[in-house]
Amino acid sequence: MAAEIVALREQVRQLEASSRIDALTGYYNYRHLMEALAAEMERTRRSGVPTSVIMTDLDHFKQINDTYGHEIGNAALKQATRVWHAAIRQVDVACRYGGEEFVFILPGTRFGMATRAAERLRISLARTPLELDGSRLNLTASFGVAAYRRGEEMSVEGFIDRADRYVLQAKQAGRNQVAFDRSQLALQETAVSASEKALLTRITAAGDDEAPL
Amino acid sequence: MGTPPFTMCITSGKGGVGKTSLAVNLGAALTRTDRKVLIVDGDLGLANVDIFFGLSVDTNILDILANGSDPLACVSFPLDNLGVLPATSGVPEMVALGPGDQDKLGGYLQCLFDHFDLVLIDTAAGIGASVLWFNSFVGDNLVVLTPEPTAITDAYALVKVLSTEHRRHRFEIVVNQVADTEEGARVFHQFQMVAGSFLDVDLNHLGTVVSDPLVGKAVRRQKPFVLASHFGPAAQAVRRIAADLDPRVVTAAASV
Ligand SMILES: Nc1ncnc2c1ncn2[C@@H]1O[C@H](COP(=O)(O)OP(=O)(O)O)[C@@H](O)[C@H]1O
Ligand SMILES: [Mg+2]
Repeated sequence: MAAEIVALREQVRQLEASSRIDALTGYYNYRHLMEALAAEMERTRRSGVPTSVIMTDLDHFKQINDTYGHEIGNAALKQATRVWHAAIRQVDVACRYGGEEFVFILPGTRFGMATRAAERLRISLARTPLELDGSRLNLTASFGVAAYRRGEEMSVEGFIDRADRYVLQAKQAGRNQVAFDRSQLALQETAVSASEKALLTRITAAGDDEAPL
Repeated sequence: MGTPPFTMCITSGKGGVGKTSLAVNLGAALTRTDRKVLIVDGDLGLANVDIFFGLSVDTNILDILANGSDPLACVSFPLDNLGVLPATSGVPEMVALGPGDQDKLGGYLQCLFDHFDLVLIDTAAGIGASVLWFNSFVGDNLVVLTPEPTAITDAYALVKVLSTEHRRHRFEIVVNQVADTEEGARVFHQFQMVAGSFLDVDLNHLGTVVSDPLVGKAVRRQKPFVLASHFGPAAQAVRRIAADLDPRVVTAAASV
C-alpha cells in the first residue's frame, strides 16, 4: 500500500514536471513562466531587488518554415534555445512563451545588467548559423528588455507586455537588435564607452593645471 | 502665414545644472530687443518654469492634448513680450509621450510658435522619449554643462545619442557654474576635443555663466535675474549670450 502511494506520488511528480517543460526545446513552458515570474515579482516586493525579463522573438521564422519546411523550422528553434541556454546563468529561467517567442526571467537582476545580457544573447545567436546539408542558415532574433522594481503596480501579464513592446520596437528598427526603455537607465550607462568616459572625467580632474588631453 | 520662429531646446542630460534658470533668463533678456519670446516647459515631470516667474497657472501643455484646449489660451504672460507654456508637475503617467501624442502635440505647438519670434524649450533631465522628441522638434539645440564629472558625461551621452540616432549634429554649448570664463573656455575646449574624436558633431561655445549667488536669490524672488536692479556676473553673461543669439532670430524671421 505504502509502496503504491510512493509510486503514485512519483508518477504525479513526473507528470507535473513534464507539464512544465516544453518538449521541443526543453525550456519551461508558459504555465511555469507565469508562476515563476509571479514568484520573482513577489520576491522583488519583499527584498527591493528588481526582477528583469528578456523577451525574444526569432526573426523571419515564418519565412524559414515556408522556405525550408517545419523540420528545419524546429531545428532552428532547437539551435537558438541551445545557444541561448549556454549564454545565460544557472539562476535564469528560460521559458518558451509560444511559437518562436521566448522569455528569460533574470531573478534579482538590475535593468542595466539585463540589457547587457540581452545583447550577449543576441550576439551569440547571430554568430552561430544553423548548419544544413551543404549550406548555412543565419539565425537572428529581436529582443526586448524590461525590469520590475519595488513599488510599481504591475501584473505578471503587464510585465511581459512591457518587454513585448520593446520586442516590437526591435523588429520595427530592423530586427537582430535589443530594444528597451533608455530613460530607465543612467544616461552614461546607455551611451558612453569606457574610453570616452576616461577622457571626459579628466576634464574636471585637470583643474587649473595644464590640460592633459 | 507668420514667419517661422527661431526655436531652441535647452537641454543637458543631468538635472540641476541650470537649464531652467538659463531658459527663463535668456528668454527675459531677449525681450529687451522687443522680440516676442515663448518659453515652453518641456519638463513634463518636474515642471518649474512657472515657479521661476512666480506664475500661478491652471492650464498646461498637457491640456492641449487631453482636452484640445486652445494652445494660445494656455500661455501665461509674466512679461509683456514673454509667454510661458507651463507643464504640469508630478504626474508621472503623463510624462511619457506616445508617438501619437507627439504628432498631435507637434502640430499644435507649430501653430502656437507662429505667434512668436523665438521659442525656448526647457527640457527634463535624462534621455527619455520626450527629451529626445523636443530636441528633434526644434531648429537648434543648446546643451548646458557644468564642470562636474557626471554633468559632463551626461551632456556628452545626450549629444552622442542625438547625433547618432536623431541626426542632430550642431550644438550650442553653455558652460554654467564655473569660477571664471577661463575655466569655461577650458571645459568647453576639452569637451570639444573628446566629442571631436568620437562623434560627428559641430560644437559652438555660446557662452560661460559663472557661479553667482544672485541666481539662487532670483529663484527665491521668482523674478529673472537679468531683470533685477542689482546686476551680477551671471546676468552679464546671459545678456551677452542673448546679444549673440539675437541676430540669428532676425535671420530666422527674414528667411521667408
Ligand atoms: N550660474 C549659477 N550660479 C549659481 N547658481 C546657479 C547657477 N545656475 C544655476 N544655479 C542654481 O542651480 C539650481 C538648479 O538650477 P535649474 O535651472 O533648476 O537646473 P535644471 O533646470 O537644469 O534642473 C538652482 O538652485 C539654481 O539657482
Ligand atoms: Mg529644470
